[in-house]
Parts: sequence; structure tokens; C-alpha cells
Amino acid sequence: MTQAQQGQDAIERMVATFNMAGNLPEEIDFESAPVKALLESMDERRRKTFLAMAKDPDTRKMSVVFNRGMGRYWDSVVKARDQGRKVAFIPFNFSPEIFYALNMVPVGVEILDTMTMTLEEGIHPYLDLSVERGLPETMCSAQRAVVGLLEAEAMAKPDILVNGALGGCDPNTKIFEYMGEKFDIPTIFVDVPYYHDRRSFAYYERGFREVVKILEEVSGNKLDEDRLREICTLSNRASELAAEITELKRHVPNPVPNYFNMNHLATKLTLMGTQDAVDFYEVALDRCLDRYHKGKHVLPEERIRFMFMYTGFYFDNSFYSWFQEEMGVSLVMDVLIFLDHIPYIDTTNVDTMLSGLAAVNMNLPMTRQLKGSHNLHGGWVSDLLYYVERYKADCLAFSGHTACKQAWGIYRVVADRVQKELGVPALRMEGDGWDSRITPMEVIQEQLTEFFETLNPEAFAQQRVTAS
Amino acid sequence: MGAFEKLAEVSTAFPSGPVREWQDQGKRVIGYVCTYLPEEMLSAMDVLPVRLGGMGVSDTSRADSYLSRVNCSFARCCLEAGLEGRYDFLDGAIFVNGCDHIRRGFENWSVQETAALPFMYLLPVPHRIFPDGFIWFKEEVGRLTEALERRFGLRLEEERLKEAIAEANRTRRLLRKLYDIRTVDDPPVSGAEALTVAATAAIMPKAVFNPLLEEFLKETESRPGVGHDKPRLFVAGSLMDDPEFIENVEDLGAIVVSDSLCIGARSIWNLVEENGDPFDALCRRYFEHEPCPRMSGEFKRRFDFVMDQIERSRADGVILEHIKFCDQHGTDNALFKHFLEKEGIPVIELERQYGPLADAGRVRTRVQAFLERIG
Repeated sequence: MTQAQQGQDAIERMVATFNMAGNLPEEIDFESAPVKALLESMDERRRKTFLAMAKDPDTRKMSVVFNRGMGRYWDSVVKARDQGRKVAFIPFNFSPEIFYALNMVPVGVEILDTMTMTLEEGIHPYLDLSVERGLPETMCSAQRAVVGLLEAEAMAKPDILVNGALGGCDPNTKIFEYMGEKFDIPTIFVDVPYYHDRRSFAYYERGFREVVKILEEVSGNKLDEDRLREICTLSNRASELAAEITELKRHVPNPVPNYFNMNHLATKLTLMGTQDAVDFYEVALDRCLDRYHKGKHVLPEERIRFMFMYTGFYFDNSFYSWFQEEMGVSLVMDVLIFLDHIPYIDTTNVDTMLSGLAAVNMNLPMTRQLKGSHNLHGGWVSDLLYYVERYKADCLAFSGHTACKQAWGIYRVVADRVQKELGVPALRMEGDGWDSRITPMEVIQEQLTEFFETLNPEAFAQQRVTAS
Repeated sequence: MGAFEKLAEVSTAFPSGPVREWQDQGKRVIGYVCTYLPEEMLSAMDVLPVRLGGMGVSDTSRADSYLSRVNCSFARCCLEAGLEGRYDFLDGAIFVNGCDHIRRGFENWSVQETAALPFMYLLPVPHRIFPDGFIWFKEEVGRLTEALERRFGLRLEEERLKEAIAEANRTRRLLRKLYDIRTVDDPPVSGAEALTVAATAAIMPKAVFNPLLEEFLKETESRPGVGHDKPRLFVAGSLMDDPEFIENVEDLGAIVVSDSLCIGARSIWNLVEENGDPFDALCRRYFEHEPCPRMSGEFKRRFDFVMDQIERSRADGVILEHIKFCDQHGTDNALFKHFLEKEGIPVIELERQYGPLADAGRVRTRVQAFLERIG
């Protein structure tokens, strides 16, 4: 089995991969000898990822811009220390703008974790190393590989950890505390209230402002109003573009390629407040509008509009192209891109901008839906009912990510409510979003095909025959 | 029958004799989970707080159809008991958002029209100990008080609250004496007995419990030691309300001399300040007491508490246990192990199940090997 790599160069190797993927030509002839040779030189995992990203011309165009942005982003992580910038690890429910405003480098732990899959050795050695060194295996694989990277000393330690997942997810919160204590990294926590009302928001906002003060000290930079406005304006622009793309998903058939979701998620969590995010969404919107006008959609035709009711599977990107090019399934979204309730940031002054950023955080996925009871306003049920209805989902699946105990603990009640109120059925699966060894992709595909067959017997019975 | 036997008898029935006697007087009983609920507030309104557990649950098939295999067996047992109607004698239940498992267990129970109790309440507690968090917590305890007053036509009066605080502090002081007794070379009280007593304190009126515990403490003066030459162990980790786990450990020739458990040292070490505004003091004590791993950024305080207790009880080794899928304690235990071993303290980490799912054989085998290791 491939081993975890030591030597603090994991991020450098990610940069190389993204730079290469950011330089793909506009046109690729997959039948040409050089491209065939390139594909043959890749192991299966990387080949699948490459094809998922590069085969479809629209997906390729938006992915090239995404990869360029990601290459620059990871390069900034590598160069942070030399440039006197402090690195902060954050969870996926803490928006990055404030760090850019303070000339820091935010690293979304879940994004970094996912990006270990671009390394030659993949994610498994790091997932395993974290457990070998003491972390319970029931902790979340979305962060465990980062612990593995630190254990292997495959990357430099960050300067600070900032966690804002309290109440929404025990594993997420505890893993930050674990990293802080074990690797001696200063760690700050923003408490997340149980409710989603004005009093709760005021409470959260006060905590957020406390964090900003600490970050000013850590970064050695005072918050500059013009710089903050520039960042928030870029963030708002990116949000507007993303919202336009999301709006296109309401069309039947959905013109937005499934793979967009993956790029969108990573962009939202790492690049908001940068020009790279705007560049990506501009190209993505251009491609999606073009597809809409040309009537392009999943192949052969849109048979199912599908939604993960919580997180999805991220360990094998061929999942997206399988839906897109073989199954006729539009993957409308999963909870990580349930972003319709994220407010725009009022850029009037520092006060309104900080308030706006706090409001963004309070409405980011998981924090919004899971911090309180499932049936509170802004909770999991009300959001699911909204997204299923608005984006016309035909069916749902609960991926059953092993570590999501809070979601597992109320899945049945939530799924029953959606079925009862909207008549939309849900499939319960048991898998892991980042660890292919829990439920392999072949099994996931089989289960989903069977599920789709119950909804659209004619189309999917044929699919099964073809597959076998 | 000695005092310990009387206490042990109470602990074997749910509802216990004293709870039934309380209800026979026409008074109310409310079940609760978690050490963050200021139970004196209930006592002061003549409502008996009774800590909930999975006592008597023999399987979790009903609960398993709502919670899942990745949810902890304690939460599943509590939900099962609720769905089976074992808690039907209660007037209500108050849960805390202590962890992902228990709050979802509560929600599942609450939405079952036929199984939910007349009063179902979740007290949201902040996940950090900080000034703003305290204000939030105090407001929430105030809201809970109002909800109870409205629902049952009760009134929280300051004098009654002071009395309830004094009574609960007395319980804590007495239990602390029980811990002191166990620090001697040959303690007259086993770890299993101590846990039985601590667990019983949470399921009967303090005014009945305290005299019994005083009597028991007196009895221990003439009791023979039960720990001569035995390895002295310290236990920390997930909730434990049944002495079976510790009995298993002690049957192997060890003695458990102290702990960092929520039904144990962590819940008795801090008293409520008896001077000043009682409501404020009560909230402060509960919010700032020896923190559970649910409180973020408090690991150092938890570790210091563990180190103090190990030193105080002169433990030779440490058992770190957590209920499977309990991320709070599982992660803390991993850190405890890392830092305790750096201090040269022998440690064993055990994953266990709660209630009917307990896997005693595996635990015994591992503890036996550990005892051989620490000689």
C-alpha cells in the first residue's frame, strides 16, 4: 500500500497538479496518440478524475479556470511564510473573506483533505496515519487526512486554527481541538447558537468580531476598510454569478453540468473574496448559459433530478460524469451548496461588512441546518423542503457519511417529512464521502441504479442491462 | 440492611421507591440528561429531577429505527426507554444539547405523538465558557424556568432556591468525602460501590439521599479495606451510570480509586456559591463547572483535573473509556493518552458499549492484560 509521504511538500505537489490541469488546451482529441499515452500513464484513480474534468468541453473550460485559481491558491499557501503571511486552518462553515482582508491565507480543512486525493499516494495513507496515531476511526474523514498530513509532517503547521462548527458537528469541532493540542497550534472557537433568530445572530456576530480582533493580532495587520470593501465586493460579485448559475438549475432539463458542483464547492470555501473566484464563475456562467441556449443537458436525456439530502461522495469524481454522460441524472446539489440563503454583504462601512460576514457564516451549510433542532426555522427540514421544491428534485439520497452522527440521528424523521409533504422519496445509503473503502463506488452506483429503477423502471432497467 | 444496601436497592429500580413516594404526595417528577441542567431550580419548585438512563432496556430495536448504528448506545437506550414507555411515570423531560447523539435522541422522542411526555424541553447550552456564553446560558435557564412555571403553574422563589442549593451542595460535600475515603492505602469502598452511590444521588430526592449517605460514610469507618495491595486505577471518559463496567475491572483484582466521569467526580467537585444572588450563582456553577469535552477550548482544564485526581488518589494506571461513536470523549481520550504517557502514567484506552450492548468479555481481556503490564 502507498505510504504517507514525509517532507513538507504535499502542498507543492498539489500546486504542480493544479498548474498542469490549469493549462489544458481548449480542444483535446481523446483519440490522439499523445492523449492516449497520457491517460495510460495515469493510475485509475487519477485517470477517472482527469476524464471527469476534461472530457466534456464545457466542464473542461470551467475546470481550467478553476484549476488555475486553485494552483495560485495552493501556491499562496506554500509561499505564505516567506511572504510574511499567516496561515489559518478553518472549517467549511467559516467563510474566507476576513482572512484575505487581513492578508492571511485561509485553508479550508475539508478542501485540503479532499485535495490530498490529487497526490500520487492519495488520501488513504493519511486517513490511516491519523488513526494509527490515536484519533478515533469514527471521526470524520473530511478532516482526518489533514491530521495525517500533520502527523507525517508532509506540510507545515498553520499559525492558527479557527473553528466555527460548534453545535453543528461534534467531530468537526473536536478535530480542531485535537490538532490544536497535539500539534501545539493556537486555536480559537466561535460559538454557534442553537437557534436561528435575531438574538442568536447578535450572539454569533459578537463572537465573530472577537475572532477578528484576535486575527488582527495574529496577522499583525489592522483591518483596512478599503481592503475589506474590495474583498467583500469581489465576494458579492462571485455570489451573484453563482446565484445566476444556480437559478439555471431550475430549468428542466438542467443545463448546468454536474461537475460544476464540485468546482463551485471548492471555490466557495476557499476563494470567495478573490478575483479568481469571480473569474471562475464568469466562465462557468458563460458555459451554462451557452448550454441552456443550445438545449444541452445530461445524456442521453434528463431522466432524474437528483439531490443529496446531506453530503455526497467526493472520493471519485467519475461519479459526476457517470450521472452526466451515462445515466441521464442531474445532480442538482447537495447540502454543501445549499447557498440560497447566504446574504449579500452590505459594504457601507466596516461595521456593516463585519455584520455581513457574520451573517454569511451563520448561513453556511451545516451551521444553518444542523446547529439546532431539525424542525426549527432555518433547520434541515425547512431547507430541504425549500430546495427540493425550488429545484424540482425527483428523489433524494442520504449518503450516510459515517461520521455525520447528527445527520444520521434524525435522517429518518427528515426524510419522512419530505416524502409526506412533497412526495419525494429518499434512499438511505451507508458510505463515506472521502474514504472509498467504506462503500466502493461500484456498490454506490449499483444501489443508485436500483433506486432510480424504482422511479423510472423503463429507462433504468435498460441501464442495468447495458451495464452488465 | 446497611446504608449502602439501602442505596443500592434504590438504584436497581426505575422509578425507585423514593420517586414513587414523592409522586404519592402529588408532586411532579421530571427526567433529565446531562450535568449542565441546574437541577436545584427544579427542586426549588418541588419538582424532583431524576437523571435518565437506559436502565431495564434489553434491546434497542425501536430506537434503532430512528437513531442509527453510528449513534451511541446510551442515546439509543434512552430513546428506546422513551419509546417503550418506561419514562411514562414522568411529567416531562429536559435534555441538553450535550452532543450530537443525545440531542437527536431527544428530537426523535419529542416528535412521537404517542410516546412524548407532556413537557419536553431542550436547554441549549453554549459550547464555550466565555462571558457572552454565560449571559446566553443564564437567559436560557430563565426561559426554562418560565416554561416550567407556565406549564405546571409553579413559581421559583428565591428562598426555596437557596434551600435547594444548600441541599445539593451538601450532597456534593458528602460525595466528596466518599472520594476522600478512597484515597487511603486500603480503601473501605470499592469503585463500583462509589459509582452506585453517585448514580443513586441523581435518581432520588436529595433530602432522602443525604442522610443515607451520611450513614454510609459512618459505616465505612468500621468497614474492612477492599483494596489491599491491589493496583489502583483511575477511570475517565463517557457517561457511566451502571457499576457493571467497574465491577468487571475490580473483579480482575484492581480497585478503582477515582474518576473523571459526569456521574462522578466532575459533577461534585464544584459547589454553588451560597452567598449573593442564588439564580446567578446557580447558573455560574453549572456553566463553569469541571467541563465536559463538549466545551471547546477547555482541554487543558480537563487534563489538569485528571492529573490532580490521579495524584490525589495515587492511581497506578488509567482506564480511558468511551462509548463507541462518542467523538467528544473518544477524541479527548486520545489526547489524554498522548499526554499522560508523556508523564509516564500507564494508560489503556477502551471503546465500550452502554447497557444491553455492553461487551464485558472483551473489556475484561484487555484490562487483564493492562493489569499485567502495570504489575
